[in-house]
Amino acid sequence: MSCSIVQKDRSGIINPIFNCQPCGAQYAGMGVKDCIPLVHGGQGCSMFVRLLFAQHFKENFDIASSSLHEEAAVFGGIKRLDEALLVLARRYPQLRVIPIITTCSTETIGDDIEGVIRKMSRKLKEEFPERTIHLVPVHTPSYTGSHVSGYNVAIESMVKTIAKKKDAPNGKLNLFTGWVNPGDVTLLKQYMSEMGVDATTLIDIESFDSPTMPNKDSFTHGSTTVEDLESTGDAVASIALNRYEGYSAAQYLEKKFNVPATIAPTPIGIRNTDIMLQQIAKITGKAIPDSLVKERGVALDALADLAHMFFANKKVAIYGNPDLVIGLAEFCREVELEPSLLLLGDDNGAYLKDPRILALQESAEHDMEIVCNADLWELEKRIKSGALKPDLIMGHSKGRFVAIDAGIPMVRVGFPTFDRAGLYRHPTIGYKGAMLLGETIANTLFAQMEFKKDREWILNTW
Amino acid sequence: MTTQTKELVNFIQERCLWQFYSRAWDREENINGVLGQLGELLSNQTPKLETPMDRCHFANANHLAREVRSAFPWLEEMSPDSLTKLIGGVMAKLEEITITKSKNGELHTQAY
Amino acid sequence: MPMKLLECDTVIPERERHIYVKEAGEDTTQYLPVSNAATIPGTLSERGCSFCGAKLVIGGVLKDTIQMIHGPFGCSYDTWHTKRYPSDNDNFQLKYAWSTNVREKNVVFGAEKLLKKSIEEAFDAMPEIKRMYIYTTCSTALIGDDPKAVAKKVMAERPDVDIFVVECPGFAGVSQSKGHHVLNMGWIHDKVGQVEPEIWSEYTINFIGDYNIQGDTFVLKDYFDRLGIQVIAHFTGNATYDECRSMHRAKLSVVNCARSAGYIANELKKIYGIPRLDIDSWGFSYMAEGLRKVGDFFGIQDKVEALIEEEYAKWKPKLDWYKERLQGTKMAIWTGGPRLWHWTRAVEDDLGVYVVAMSSKFGHQEDFEKVIARGREGTVYIDDGNELEFFEVIEMVKPDVIFTGPRVGELVKKLHIPYINGHAYHNGPYMGFEGFVNLARDMYNAVRSPLWKLAGENIQKEEAL
Repeated sequence: MSCSIVQKDRSGIINPIFNCQPCGAQYAGMGVKDCIPLVHGGQGCSMFVRLLFAQHFKENFDIASSSLHEEAAVFGGIKRLDEALLVLARRYPQLRVIPIITTCSTETIGDDIEGVIRKMSRKLKEEFPERTIHLVPVHTPSYTGSHVSGYNVAIESMVKTIAKKKDAPNGKLNLFTGWVNPGDVTLLKQYMSEMGVDATTLIDIESFDSPTMPNKDSFTHGSTTVEDLESTGDAVASIALNRYEGYSAAQYLEKKFNVPATIAPTPIGIRNTDIMLQQIAKITGKAIPDSLVKERGVALDALADLAHMFFANKKVAIYGNPDLVIGLAEFCREVELEPSLLLLGDDNGAYLKDPRILALQESAEHDMEIVCNADLWELEKRIKSGALKPDLIMGHSKGRFVAIDAGIPMVRVGFPTFDRAGLYRHPTIGYKGAMLLGETIANTLFAQMEFKKDREWILNTW
Repeated sequence: MTTQTKELVNFIQERCLWQFYSRAWDREENINGVLGQLGELLSNQTPKLETPMDRCHFANANHLAREVRSAFPWLEEMSPDSLTKLIGGVMAKLEEITITKSKNGELHTQAY
Repeated sequence: MPMKLLECDTVIPERERHIYVKEAGEDTTQYLPVSNAATIPGTLSERGCSFCGAKLVIGGVLKDTIQMIHGPFGCSYDTWHTKRYPSDNDNFQLKYAWSTNVREKNVVFGAEKLLKKSIEEAFDAMPEIKRMYIYTTCSTALIGDDPKAVAKKVMAERPDVDIFVVECPGFAGVSQSKGHHVLNMGWIHDKVGQVEPEIWSEYTINFIGDYNIQGDTFVLKDYFDRLGIQVIAHFTGNATYDECRSMHRAKLSVVNCARSAGYIANELKKIYGIPRLDIDSWGFSYMAEGLRKVGDFFGIQDKVEALIEEEYAKWKPKLDWYKERLQGTKMAIWTGGPRLWHWTRAVEDDLGVYVVAMSSKFGHQEDFEKVIARGREGTVYIDDGNELEFFEVIEMVKPDVIFTGPRVGELVKKLHIPYINGHAYHNGPYMGFEGFVNLARDMYNAVRSPLWKLAGENIQKEEAL
């Protein structure tokens, strides 16, 4: 059985898997309470991303733009940035955090963001002596990394700027969730509560799933407060659930404040969740409660109904954020699905050294191909040529036409999932997430069987 | 401006796009062309349709004639002289609103 | 004071020049919002960028053309899966997004080599496609790449392909509008006239400024087919690259969106003497009016009247059914600009609906001249509205439904106000006779949804519901 790791051999991209860095930075900033991310660049850099998040969450998020115009190409964009900060502070009296997110234009122009922050922090303090507004420099040009690294950079920048050490150990666990959905955060909070762990969720986006209320006062916002960010310096430990999304912040806290940092395996699937819980138990000294063992048992029970009967030997193609793809591949293995094609969507060389990828390679009992720096044409051309005949595709909604045109069942997972309703509300991680994934995969395959009249009759006595 | 001029001007303002083309000279061409033919149509004359622009003005003028005849029955009773004066007044007022007194800063830019 | 300074704008008082509340007896020589001006930074304006106006609105609609975006991949990713313009070419234009994938080293050393390679790869990957648009973005404009030179080289090496370059970095201009302008002017000067179409009718038109949102173009094409009118080029709904190179051969340019494509209509008149006829292709009465004008131009009035009679017989009863139920409904329109003036009168005449507030992202003063002339007194007219202004205006005018984008729609949902997707429709098409009935149906279903009443119920009250 072969497992090959290849690089996309084209220079250009056809159908990008990822968005660029500023998108990830905005996602991180959105999760902070009383925070309006300010994207320093052309208006599209924020407007397109606001639309993308609206597509995924069916919510509006407040993100501002410095509205770079042509004169900035000659004179620089500092003036517009200065003005944007004042306008925001003046019109939004509750504002406490403004991440200043750079883009390819302003990085190329070379605007001195740190200089602006020094100057404007003073100015804002003069004008609003009773307020503290944290200005966070977030350097995220679009020509390096992707939205994955943009998220990582932003989390680290916010922690760097705001975290303090008061030398008052608070017994908290910094929980860097990585790029997850509100449903994942709900699950993590539930787990922490059942374990009796006082965790600071970074970033707490549970409130992204915001309601419509009788008094019309509902508003979509993040829930991580300035105090939460400040408290990270006094935590007992940090745990990062996604290696490429949030671990840098944990490493910073370790270096600067001696808060020990652990990487958990992305907790998708039973085994990964087990390890994460055991890591947390070890770090915090709290025992894993019976309730979680039961939840685990319910999930295993459900998956056992599906694995060898319906999933075994089915080939899966997976694309999306790297931690997600790896976690999903590992989950697939647990339930006898064969992750035959993994697409990692940017040129981060670290993927090649990721121990999880090496482990997948070594333990492969089926043909597997991992494409680095991939785009979705890599998926489409393999299917069109017949080189790959996946039984299932797992990935985000921008790959939908490949699945639709080829008639291949597709489970939407990751970001964005705008062509299905409500997916962000449910977990992909944890035991519950594994169970839901398994059942979603099963139901998708069942619908396909009925549509294609492929042994659909066996289902009525399953 | 007479009441009738005002009514007609308001009607055209509410219903017509040709008065709002991109530049002063476009607007002037349309106002003259369309209203010129409107005058002819309302006097039961047939406008000369020789050039493509003539036919384009006619497209706008003919529809306008239908609409104003229906909206303003007093047009039927008008003498040719009064009609000429009326059309002249409407032209002048429209030019004022859409060109000479317009606050639209793009009207006099040479290039489109 | 007709120019209005909203409370949320007291710290940015220049906004007063952008917001107008029409009162009786006023006209646009007295009050006209400032438009197409620099955006105030940090306001949460609704504007997008120049690249968006070029690629997403106009160029990306073409059904047979590779859209090569010269820059980092975000610009490509962001303009993919965000529009609802189908085609009869298996929706090729919806399925793919190309990028030259500019990385840091290209910003330092230049990206022309990368551009050339990406172009070749794209053509090689899809050998049946022979046309391409190249767009510059913020970074590639700043580093001074010359994509036109690269395109020239490729066309010399591959004589069967044709490439058009649009220089539309995001920071150019103040909004999407700059992108429209650059693309229009580039196209007429670089490409129109290069292809001679086969003419099968003596009645030939360009239909300019319609992008086949949910099949609008198909509706209009059906009318023109039935009238025996040949559409040389639809700019750019369901169009091919080469059809749009043949625009010089039409006898008439019929224009719907004068904002995004008035430019090319003007140039076609200036250079080729083709008259420009502006119509509204949204609106039941407007559609009849537009067709009658085209009929008058060509002298085919009988055919037009027959078509209108057929369409009225089919759709007017349905329209009237909705009119009866929508009478007095208050609507707000927060879209790009032109739909403000296309819809404000049409919904009133055809459906008895009153538009009480309108905001334009990228309209020019010309668009405000039109909308204010057509619009009601007491209505709020806003240039470049921002989020806090929206909240305040909603309080002022209390609309029953808002036609706007999905994101803003999600915002107003919290206020128990339904939205209709004013850009890409809920259940379209919205153009033509049947289209306006679709619009009415969506509006009716939106405002009469039982969910709004339920949303307002407080179940914690002591009295029973």
